[in-house]
Amino acid sequence: MAAIHGDAHGHGHDDHHPSGIMRWITTTNHKDIGTMYLWFSFAMFLVGGTLAMGIRAELFQPGIQILEPELFNQFTTLHGLIMVFGAIMPAFVGFANWQVPLMIGAPDMAFARMNNWSFWLLPVAATLLVSSFFVPGGAAAGGWTFYPPLSTQGGLGVDLMIFAVHILGASSIMGSINIITTILNMRAPGMTLMKMPMFVWTWLITAYLLVLVMPVLAGVVTMLLTDRHFGTSFFNAAGGGDPVMFQHIFWFFGHPEVYIMILPSFGIVSEVIPTFSRKPLFGYSSMVYATASIAILSCVVWAHHMFTAGMPTVGQLFFMYATMLIAVPTGVKVFNWTATMWRGSMSFETPMLFSIGFIFLFVIGGFSGVICAIVPIDIQVQDTYYVIAHFHYVLVSGSLFALFAGAYYWIPKWTGRMYNETLGKWHFWLSMFFFNLTFFVQHFLGLAGMPRRIPDYNLQFADFNMISSIGAFGFGLTQLLFLYIMISCIRSGEKAPEKPWDGATTLEWTHLPTPAPYHSFEKPPIVK
Amino acid sequence: MSEKSNKATIGQIAKAVMFAFIGIRKKSDLENDAATLTPAQVIVGGIIGAILFVLSIILVVRLVIS
Repeated sequence: MAAIHGDAHGHGHDDHHPSGIMRWITTTNHKDIGTMYLWFSFAMFLVGGTLAMGIRAELFQPGIQILEPELFNQFTTLHGLIMVFGAIMPAFVGFANWQVPLMIGAPDMAFARMNNWSFWLLPVAATLLVSSFFVPGGAAAGGWTFYPPLSTQGGLGVDLMIFAVHILGASSIMGSINIITTILNMRAPGMTLMKMPMFVWTWLITAYLLVLVMPVLAGVVTMLLTDRHFGTSFFNAAGGGDPVMFQHIFWFFGHPEVYIMILPSFGIVSEVIPTFSRKPLFGYSSMVYATASIAILSCVVWAHHMFTAGMPTVGQLFFMYATMLIAVPTGVKVFNWTATMWRGSMSFETPMLFSIGFIFLFVIGGFSGVICAIVPIDIQVQDTYYVIAHFHYVLVSGSLFALFAGAYYWIPKWTGRMYNETLGKWHFWLSMFFFNLTFFVQHFLGLAGMPRRIPDYNLQFADFNMISSIGAFGFGLTQLLFLYIMISCIRSGEKAPEKPWDGATTLEWTHLPTPAPYHSFEKPPIVK
Repeated sequence: MSEKSNKATIGQIAKAVMFAFIGIRKKSDLENDAATLTPAQVIVGGIIGAILFVLSIILVVRLVIS
């Protein structure tokens, strides 16, 4: 995206900052940093995707063909860690960097230099994670949840992972503090909290969740580190510790983390659907309240990830009931999006297609989540492909589809150029087809009893695995089409009109030229 | 701001928090909340609400297994 700002920067402003690579290393501009976050997350998406291709290639047929079991476990572990911490989370922070100041009428993020620092920590962490494949013993192989005793026994790769998680956590906390401060202190005159776009609201609440739970993650990996190297026994039963305590602490972070990855996508979809329905968001206030409610509830449901770890009935029932209640505010949101579209003057450009696809598939993921919340069922499906199918419906067709929707929606504002609508639609329909081909059949595999994290399986699972692998290869290739669409848009896309989406009402579309200038809202707009 | 915050009664805070937990609210009520409630009131109300929510689920669980 250097080309984008090259223009605006070249003749728009004469503020003497470095050019070439130094521009990106030293930049404090929220647009530059947002762009770097987005490219970084896409690069990590490709790395994590390559690992997924390795996993699916091995599972294409029963037997061990390509990956030795040890390497297979490293692939599943790093696929999860890279997708969660390297792809999805930084992508949303990238959107926040670009969009939050534009949508609230602020000139930049509150702490511009910290913003730079929180981005540049990411490549360091990514290097640690990826290079861990090449150290003796290989990368961490105990799953992305790195439960002890596997994680206390692993080699140097586990240490690299622990440091990477520390660094990523520090980056997330700094990013969150920046977002909270920007939203609370830098809104344009007249932009009251209750006038803020939903995307800004969802990010405000997400940022609070991040500040709440990332230190817990940092704490638990530090305890792991001291167990590994400094003689403590937090999670070692032989020394009086308790490995199940790790699971409690991890999931106290881990469950809100799920909402950290989905709330901003709710925000993106809540911007796109009203625009292409040409109606205001139905039940804006309900949406704000539902988001806050989901955030609070997300902190009291963590042990539903551990029903089989051993828990009194009272605990099982508590976490089952609390988890099922999250369906209420989530349902409110789904109904509100549907009501927004009801009798709207709808059109189906690519961002809208991805948003509708999001609603459709996220609801499937939500329902399978409620099914997993029911203790007797969960005890059956725990650690099977049913759970894999469930959370990919939430994180791929949920978070990732919303990210695609947001990218297509805002790319004209970022670059001043339009993407190829026909190819965008191809990207959507191919993603939709291959995604379901990959993951819907995994429900059946899970119900039939296929465990997760295994490189080989019994013959009765062969057909569905082959279908799933074909779907995965198709889905992976389809994402290269997305890369092509974005690069050709940035390089040679048609010039975008000032306001390509006639239904858009937020500040970046109504108060700024297209493309957004390098420095925007130096004088704050007046919001009525 | 302090003048406005004086207007909020405990009942009003409780009502706002309760609706937040279900995730629905009429726009007029919300605007009223935004005008009268301070963030501190909402946060304290939310924490108390969350504690009550947890206690009420524990109560239901006790009833179910008794």
